[in-house]
Amino acid sequence: MPTINLWATDGYISTPGGKSIYIWGFTDQEGGSAQLPGPTIIIKEEQPPAETVFDINLTNNLNEPVSLTFPGQKNVKVNGQRVQPQYNNGELVSLTNYALPGETITYSVTTSSPGTFLYESGTNPFKQVQMGLYGAIIVRPCDYEPHETGLCTAYGTGTGTEFDREYLLVLSEVDPAFHQAVKQGRDYDTRQFKPRYWMINGRCAPDTMLPDYTPQLPNQPYGAMILMEPGEKVLLRYAGAGIQNHPLHPHGHHTRLVGLDGRLLQNINNGEVNDLSYERFTVLAAAGQTCDQIYTWAGLGFDPATNPIPTTIPNLRNMSIGHLGWTLWSGSPYLGHKGELPSGMVSYNNAGEEYFMLHSHAELEITNWGAYPGGLMTMIAVYPPGTLGFNQGMLPTSL
Amino acid sequence: MKVDIRIAVTDGWIDTPDGIKHYIFGFVDITGVPEAEIFNYCGKAELMAPPLVFIVGDEVYLTLTNIGTPTRPDLDDPHTIHYHGFPNQIAFYDGVPEPSIAVPVGRNFTYYYKPLNPGTYMYHCHQEPVEHIQMGMTGPLIVRPADYDPDYPEYKTAYGHGTGTEFDREFYIFLSELDCHIHDLIAKVQDPDWTEYKPTYWLINGRSYPDTITNPTPCCLQQQPWSALIRANAGEKVLLRFVNLGFQQHALQLPGTVFKIIGMDAMRPLGRNGEDLSFFKNVVYISPGQSTDAIFTVPDPFQGQAGFPVVLSLYNRNLNKNYTAGMVPGGMISQVHIYPPGTLPPQTAPNQ
Ligand SMILES: [Cu+2]
Ligand SMILES: [Cu+2]
Repeated sequence: MPTINLWATDGYISTPGGKSIYIWGFTDQEGGSAQLPGPTIIIKEEQPPAETVFDINLTNNLNEPVSLTFPGQKNVKVNGQRVQPQYNNGELVSLTNYALPGETITYSVTTSSPGTFLYESGTNPFKQVQMGLYGAIIVRPCDYEPHETGLCTAYGTGTGTEFDREYLLVLSEVDPAFHQAVKQGRDYDTRQFKPRYWMINGRCAPDTMLPDYTPQLPNQPYGAMILMEPGEKVLLRYAGAGIQNHPLHPHGHHTRLVGLDGRLLQNINNGEVNDLSYERFTVLAAAGQTCDQIYTWAGLGFDPATNPIPTTIPNLRNMSIGHLGWTLWSGSPYLGHKGELPSGMVSYNNAGEEYFMLHSHAELEITNWGAYPGGLMTMIAVYPPGTLGFNQGMLPTSL
Repeated sequence: MKVDIRIAVTDGWIDTPDGIKHYIFGFVDITGVPEAEIFNYCGKAELMAPPLVFIVGDEVYLTLTNIGTPTRPDLDDPHTIHYHGFPNQIAFYDGVPEPSIAVPVGRNFTYYYKPLNPGTYMYHCHQEPVEHIQMGMTGPLIVRPADYDPDYPEYKTAYGHGTGTEFDREFYIFLSELDCHIHDLIAKVQDPDWTEYKPTYWLINGRSYPDTITNPTPCCLQQQPWSALIRANAGEKVLLRFVNLGFQQHALQLPGTVFKIIGMDAMRPLGRNGEDLSFFKNVVYISPGQSTDAIFTVPDPFQGQAGFPVVLSLYNRNLNKNYTAGMVPGGMISQVHIYPPGTLPPQTAPNQ
């Protein structure tokens, strides 16, 4: 049975503007700093009828009770008993069993289904989840095998959820005034809640596009750039860890929504499969919900030799390129090609890859405290065939 | 068919029913206008932007011309067109400045599209999109199926013959919001804090009720040419093409009838094996950047009798959005006017 050790503690995250924000969060390193989001828990299901159970030892290094809830899981136990809401003199103090400051509590979690889930604090949750006490759980189907045709799936072989690469996008919003109040031990009126930052994996754009474990963001280890090759099936896992709903729109293609809240969108009646998945170009990633989707981009077949684009490329000196002196563009309309950019322009293009924005269409959410670009935005980078590593965009099979 | 379109980007002023004018950025159609006359369109931006209507297989050459913003001559913002939802688009024609090209004042850029999937899409500027979308650079875009033929009922469809999407009349229900404080700041060359966004007006087709159901006059609505009045004969099938390019979710309802949802985001709701997942709704709940195709059958209150038009109300079930500047009934309200069968001639263009 897998066992995960988590510590609830505090720490700081940083925004692209260089601001530092006090957080509470989880770490899987004893004595470590809180990270945002918490460590991703990846579990591979046992072959049914065996149940899949994992243990989490939560040690509370904060100064108030902390707990964990596991929305969507079948059964959660502490000391062999189902978890229960906790009262003190008749007053609800926690939605579930908690650890007092300095204590360790062990949750035994029985999974219910492959898919994407959240874990989050169930004690004073408006405060504690806002402060950062949340993370994602990925449950893999029992037959999951990375890179194996037909077995590299979100929900099991034969469910139509095969993928070539996968990316987890945990969504949240932050009101820095709230975090400051908690840091200073002041009261905060929840009606005043007003986010100024919107985040994917605890990062605001453009930091979302930095790699995993980039040294300048020690407590925000997970990147959110989607790297892929044309025609590949990319599994996008959205998890809404905030209290707002976010309409996410990837440029370049619709997504097919194959799983909602860690459940395959499919009914089977008397052996007859009714597929309930559907395609959208904007998916509302709502509070507490998860959306598993397959995204693909194949391009339009343009090629400079055999199928040139039907318009002329304007003189680029007459056009506006990029943003404030930098661009992600290669200078060419063709995948895998580079063109000449106006001199002085800094291009971050590597291999003639094409970039497609993935962002909240509630556009104020793609700012950092009102300044564009920022917030809940990242890029999908489509690289020329054969240029990305085998393990790019592959999360571990299990912990 | 080869389609040449030329759209200019500029600024302008729009009206709300409380008599206030609001500064906007936006698009205006200048297809076929002689080069020497295009600057006559400076300051003539329209809200909603001119709808673009294509047929599957069209080869569309859309030229964007930036003719500048006369109210803000200091602004030299480039602009783009992003065709939202176009599958497999290449970055070069996607209209996102950071990984491609934007159009400075006085310049042109031609986008090429060959739409292959029918449905209701949208387009908008993607330069600093929070500002340019809120300022009004937004419009609907329809792609008709390849077999579309309005002269034959079974071929006058949203998604093609045999898809169960036949309609007699169609209407854009284009949703957005307007924060007058932010528009005012931008007119006065000041920077808003977008996290303080707080709309004061809720618009259908760029207008707030009762403007949604009235006609422009020489003084008013000159740059808001699109009514949202739905006129239909009893018994007809009406297709509403909802598009949301505001920053809020909206909940549109039309008591007296029920919507069949036959398209979402320019896709029929179909499972992987072609399962028909269309469904019925009383409220169309739609988030920013989404579109919904809803068909309803116009009820017949006449039962063979002559009579005056019977009215149904279309409004936002987020009831706070049915006001003008928070005071008077207005905002996201429109009406359906039902006529006895055979009264209205066939529709030859949307929103007639
Ligand atoms: Cu976009
Ligand atoms: Cu868009």
